[in-house]
Amino acid sequence: MEIKFKNITKSFGNILANKDINFTISSGKIHALLGENGAGKSTLVKILSGHYRADDGEIIVGEKKLELGSTKDSIKNGIGILAQDPLDFSNLNVLESFIVGSKNSNPFINIKGIKKNILEQFKKYKINVNPDDQIRDLSVGERQQVELIRLLFNGTKIIILDEPTNGFSLEQKQLVFEVLKSLNEVGFIIILVSHKLDEVLDLCQEATILKRGEIVSTVQLPCPSDQIIDLMFDSKSSVKVNNKKESLKNSNLGSILINFSKNPKSIQYYDQNINFPCGKTTGVIGLQGSGADQFIRDCFSGKIDITIKNENSDNFIPEKYFYYTPSDRLEKGLFNELKIYEHVAISRFSNSQIIDWKKVENKSIQLIDDFNIKGEKSTLASELSGGNQQKLMLALIPEEIGLLLMEQPTRGLDVQSASFIWRKIKTRSNSDYGSIFSTTDIEEVWAYSDYIMCFSGNSITHFSDKSKISKNEIPYLISGVNSNG
Amino acid sequence: MDNKLKINLLNLGFITIKLLVTFLLISLIILLLGGSPSEVMESIIYGAFGKPQKIVKTLLIWAPIALASLALLITFSAGLWNIGIEGQIIAGSIGATIIARSALGESIASPYIQIFIGLIFGGLWGLLCGFLRVKFNVHEIFGGLGLDFVASGLIVYLIIGPWKRAGIASTSGTDIFPDASWLPTLGKYNFQIIPLVLVIGSFLIIFILIKYTNLGLRLRATGINPSSTSRYKINSSLYFYYAFAIAGALAGIAGVVQAAGFHHKLVPAISGGYGFLSILIVLASSRNPIITMILSFFFASMIAGGSQLQLRLDLHSSMISIILSSIVLIWLVMRSSYLNNMFNKITSRLNLEK
Repeated sequence: MEIKFKNITKSFGNILANKDINFTISSGKIHALLGENGAGKSTLVKILSGHYRADDGEIIVGEKKLELGSTKDSIKNGIGILAQDPLDFSNLNVLESFIVGSKNSNPFINIKGIKKNILEQFKKYKINVNPDDQIRDLSVGERQQVELIRLLFNGTKIIILDEPTNGFSLEQKQLVFEVLKSLNEVGFIIILVSHKLDEVLDLCQEATILKRGEIVSTVQLPCPSDQIIDLMFDSKSSVKVNNKKESLKNSNLGSILINFSKNPKSIQYYDQNINFPCGKTTGVIGLQGSGADQFIRDCFSGKIDITIKNENSDNFIPEKYFYYTPSDRLEKGLFNELKIYEHVAISRFSNSQIIDWKKVENKSIQLIDDFNIKGEKSTLASELSGGNQQKLMLALIPEEIGLLLMEQPTRGLDVQSASFIWRKIKTRSNSDYGSIFSTTDIEEVWAYSDYIMCFSGNSITHFSDKSKISKNEIPYLISGVNSNG
Repeated sequence: MDNKLKINLLNLGFITIKLLVTFLLISLIILLLGGSPSEVMESIIYGAFGKPQKIVKTLLIWAPIALASLALLITFSAGLWNIGIEGQIIAGSIGATIIARSALGESIASPYIQIFIGLIFGGLWGLLCGFLRVKFNVHEIFGGLGLDFVASGLIVYLIIGPWKRAGIASTSGTDIFPDASWLPTLGKYNFQIIPLVLVIGSFLIIFILIKYTNLGLRLRATGINPSSTSRYKINSSLYFYYAFAIAGALAGIAGVVQAAGFHHKLVPAISGGYGFLSILIVLASSRNPIITMILSFFFASMIAGGSQLQLRLDLHSSMISIILSSIVLIWLVMRSSYLNNMFNKITSRLNLEK
């Protein structure tokens, strides 16, 4: 079977997301779509899955022309997408979401049978989810895992994975990759959208590289990663994660004291308080679904007390200086139908009742430039790619000193965007009270933290200065004593 | 020709086509109801604008509809379905009646006190709906509908109970307000300036609020995604309250205009159904303040002119409601139709050529 893209073109307002895309994907080779954030990969696969309607062009699946912009027709043709932000029903439980999507037209549903089937599948892929759990209570990663199983369950023959593996643990990832490889051998078409080269090289036999909405080239894999990087990015830049030593500028602000005495029930926190000097960065690492993200949210919502401690006093940080960026960018971080400059007005010009739009627009242009956001001042947040949404969230943080609380700040971002974002965080973090971020990526926590906190399941298994822990210990600390099961 | 101009022209063309289609379908409906489209339309226009006193009456009908529509612009901005607007209009009119029946009713200041009290009553009735939503998680559609029923019950009770006319308790209404409690009129056609001033003033305030203030922007942000508000230090509950208070106040003023300007007494159907009608108006105008004003004027003219249908053509005046609701329906259908997709496709292609 083959999927042929012919002259696919799509724009959002003034942003051209895909321009004259022509290429063919055939079964037998796992195909990768590569490109930096905003290159148009997600748009392209969402056109294939029917979530977006292309402005022009056509897609031929096998012999049939796909009806564009119809998710129904895409599903009928066996196309299923595992999206970066899961496209599921947050108000159903896991079991119900399987039943809703099933093609079974029999009005009497064998719920027990389905449940058993689901449990078997979950066991096979080592997924720790109960079919009776509400989808909205799952983490993004768990939702992705459930989604993948659901797609297979519903007889999907063409599987699109849109930056999915951020949600998988290493072990699960390997399992999933094995599954994908064997599915590929029996004729499934598998498309992996990613910017993680190691992953692509591991899984795929063919890669199409996009840049600014256009196809640069299709290459056969394996091939040297340098060659691909050259194709993906404009200028050769250090793609290696910067392991720059922090200047040990001792901040005279005192230290950040995290006090667990309120101890929310959902998480087993330390029984002792912890602290780190102001101006430092604490990385909170845990596997997908661990309490790391919840910890960040609890810090923000005040379920955990955070104070500044210096020689003579304990000071609460006023609530307005807690700057939080969630991992669900569109759901909890931005307003999808507001324009960039309206976000700027809300976050940066909140003091004046009457808005001076001229000033707001100038500031917006400056921030867009400063944070290298691929969009214009009147672009809607929903029209931005994931990476640019993340940059926008950071750009909106006021310049005043504060405490940065970031949930997976580089989730789904390519190396270049990620290192850009870290540069931006680091330029301000020395003079801030401090920053705390969660991540699932050991490399990231190692590269950017001064202090490291490890989560295994819902409990903190470690907290210390980075110098007191070795990188090799981290995998054990986050998975070793998996008390939750 | 530059692309921007082309797109604007195309846009205009599409709107014209839509208007034409609406017009044709309405004519068809009139034919089906046994009228002649040209006669019906002619008598509506005559009924609304044929004589100076008819224009005066049209403007008086427009005022409460416009005020209620402005109220709904605010609640819709905050993502709220303010079905409770009918109750808020009633609350305002009850406030007006309290003043008119009190010692203050004989005072020359009575109309202005009525407006103030109506505003407060409407605002409080609106806040009640917000309170149910925020504190008890009662969706505003259910809360609002419930409060509408309470308000209609209350007004009937007041009219046949404590405020009944001497000797008779009838649902035809209370005693006529004292003259001093009527909204003052100008000239021989009894033109009322106050409702018009209220509409224009409210329009300017709402327009500025939505376009130029942080409050308006935050209301919209809350409406789009309440889950994102906390990271911007926006207290979404507070903004729900603001929206309901502002909307309720405007609806309350509409109630005062109905009581002190139009009926000069309290009647059970004091709201005239204008609250629900305004929901249609705001939906059909895609929440654009200017279009809302124009559309509400258009609808008011239809209602004012509709009274002529019975007199001149022996058609039942309810035909006008059928026509009005059909217009909204047809318009909404066309807004989300293939026509629009076609239009978007063409404009985006033009965008690409840039």
